[in-house]
Amino acid sequence: MSGDDGTNGDGFGRLRLDVNGTDTVVLTLGDASAPPLVFFHGAGTFHGFEFAKPWASQFRVLLPFHPGFGESGDFDDLREVNDLVLHYAALFDRLGLDRDVNLVGLSLGGLLAARFAIAQTHRLRRLVLTCPAGLRVPDHPMDDIFRIPPDQLASRLVKRMETLLPHLPADPHDIDFTVARYRESRTVATMLWERPFDRVVPRWLTTVGVPTMVAWGEDDALIPPGQAAAWAALLPDATVRLFPDAGHLLYDESPAAVSAVAEFCG
Amino acid sequence: MGLMDQLEFLFFHFMPYTPLPADHKRHESLWVDYSNSNFDAATGHGLYKRYWSELLLADALRYDGIIINEHHNTPYTMNPAPNLTAAAIIPQTTCRIGVFGTPPNLGYPNRLAEEYAMLDVMSGGRLEVAFPLGTGMEYWANSVNPSTARARFRESLDIILKCWTEDGPQGYQGEFYNYRYLNPWPKPMQKPYPPSYVVGTGSPETIDLAASLGMGYSVVFIPTTAQLRVFDDYRERMAHYGHEATPDKLTIGVMAYVAETEQQAEEEFRPHVMYFFEDALRTTPRYLLPPGYVTVPEFRKRLSGPDVHGSANWDELVALNRIVAGTPEQVADAIGTWATEAGVSRLTLNLALGDMPHWKVEKNLTLFAEEVIPRLRGKAVVAVSA
Repeated sequence: MSGDDGTNGDGFGRLRLDVNGTDTVVLTLGDASAPPLVFFHGAGTFHGFEFAKPWASQFRVLLPFHPGFGESGDFDDLREVNDLVLHYAALFDRLGLDRDVNLVGLSLGGLLAARFAIAQTHRLRRLVLTCPAGLRVPDHPMDDIFRIPPDQLASRLVKRMETLLPHLPADPHDIDFTVARYRESRTVATMLWERPFDRVVPRWLTTVGVPTMVAWGEDDALIPPGQAAAWAALLPDATVRLFPDAGHLLYDESPAAVSAVAEFCG
Repeated sequence: MGLMDQLEFLFFHFMPYTPLPADHKRHESLWVDYSNSNFDAATGHGLYKRYWSELLLADALRYDGIIINEHHNTPYTMNPAPNLTAAAIIPQTTCRIGVFGTPPNLGYPNRLAEEYAMLDVMSGGRLEVAFPLGTGMEYWANSVNPSTARARFRESLDIILKCWTEDGPQGYQGEFYNYRYLNPWPKPMQKPYPPSYVVGTGSPETIDLAASLGMGYSVVFIPTTAQLRVFDDYRERMAHYGHEATPDKLTIGVMAYVAETEQQAEEEFRPHVMYFFEDALRTTPRYLLPPGYVTVPEFRKRLSGPDVHGSANWDELVALNRIVAGTPEQVADAIGTWATEAGVSRLTLNLALGDMPHWKVEKNLTLFAEEVIPRLRGKAVVAVSA
């Protein structure tokens, strides 16, 4: 393994690896010998990973930035979600995550976790799909994420705006913040602009026998909680958990959901 | 031969749909999501007929060419498919027809090569084309990924040139398009192919692309001083690739209005220029720059750049752009100076702009043709005899 394990004073360790040409940063928490819990973030990293800290008492928590997001570098010819599945297979190899991995994904990261589970089932012990994106559910359609104007997006992500306030710049036109969001939305567009719905999940999720929790905030205003049943119906061993008083960024708003993940993976 | 001998006067008509409800000012953008419930087909029919008559008038007045362009989801133009307009006027005209143009990314490149070849053959070799990447707004209106748009654009141009310059059948194995039999009928009448331009806003990548292909470069919507720097860059890149950057390889855009006095010209022109900049161009940064349309460093640069879309002040506009309203002499002087300082012979003339009524277009086109063009060409004669 390359890279250092220093901290930035934010309580997270950092691993920096070159994964087949992509400069990749993984935030870490907890004892290196504890059972691994990997978290795949969603389409924006601006709200940080503070919510993951309680998991550190029980797990070795690994919080990678996807290529083209946050502290990781770009993956120049990224074209589809499968490119990230392959990126993570290589990263997991580098980190020795061959088996018994607990994988949690949220939103875009939920879709990615599902795709990773389909291709790499043997590495997983538990799977948590949190308000995952990418499934076409005609009875509970989601708005196209690119259609939502940026000034309305924040209120679609959380039930309580105060959840986000610490993570938003004082000046709404802050250039660094706006550029960072543009970069991340560009990465998402590269994979999903023309085809936001996943072709593989409906056909192949049925092969993922790993015990799976489908978790959703009851007040999710971005992807309707009504989609949870459709995901569960595709999974051989699924439990659906809905959490009250929480929006799309479930773990930022629901300590109960954070605990439920620890319990499910414990 | 001096530059003034080579000047080409090209009437550029945006063919806008302007009878909008008064509340349109409340809409942040007249592009992408401004509802087409505001389009009335009977009114549109009348406008098409009116605009055709203006295009034909320009031909009758012996302008060198007519130029039309393409945009989507907007009253800015009634030409989402400008080749249809070109086909409609070809049998009724003798001047050159410029389609400036269809973004190749919005269709299949072999289809565009075919359509342009059709127009060139139908017109007896009068076609000129410009290839735009397409504004950011086009990528919200069409199902094409903005984040790979530039790579796709390069590949499309490569395919179109292959269609035009090499005999088929050929194959093409690209990242975006795979052709088993690239063999389009017809091929263009003009050899090796119709005069062609790449449209750009001054980005080094696009200038380099145009120069590498030996194509012209048609710059849009950046201030005059920035254009002059871009022209120097283009000439440098053309030399680098071993092509000659003759004055007809570049275009300058001029918004001009001619009247009896300067004051009358300004009074008659100003409201339509303001409509154009405040209303016709009004859109949001989000629509201008969909995700991935520009690189991250370029996005940062544009965040701090000037905004020409939807804010306007007459004095600033006149200071930054080639806008002239005046007597024939004043308009001719301004255009002669601009062409000379730019070293460019092709003038794309916005003589119909924004919500200008028909009588003004007719007056302006006529006065410009009869009083301005001879003055500029007259300078050439003087220069030769001197």
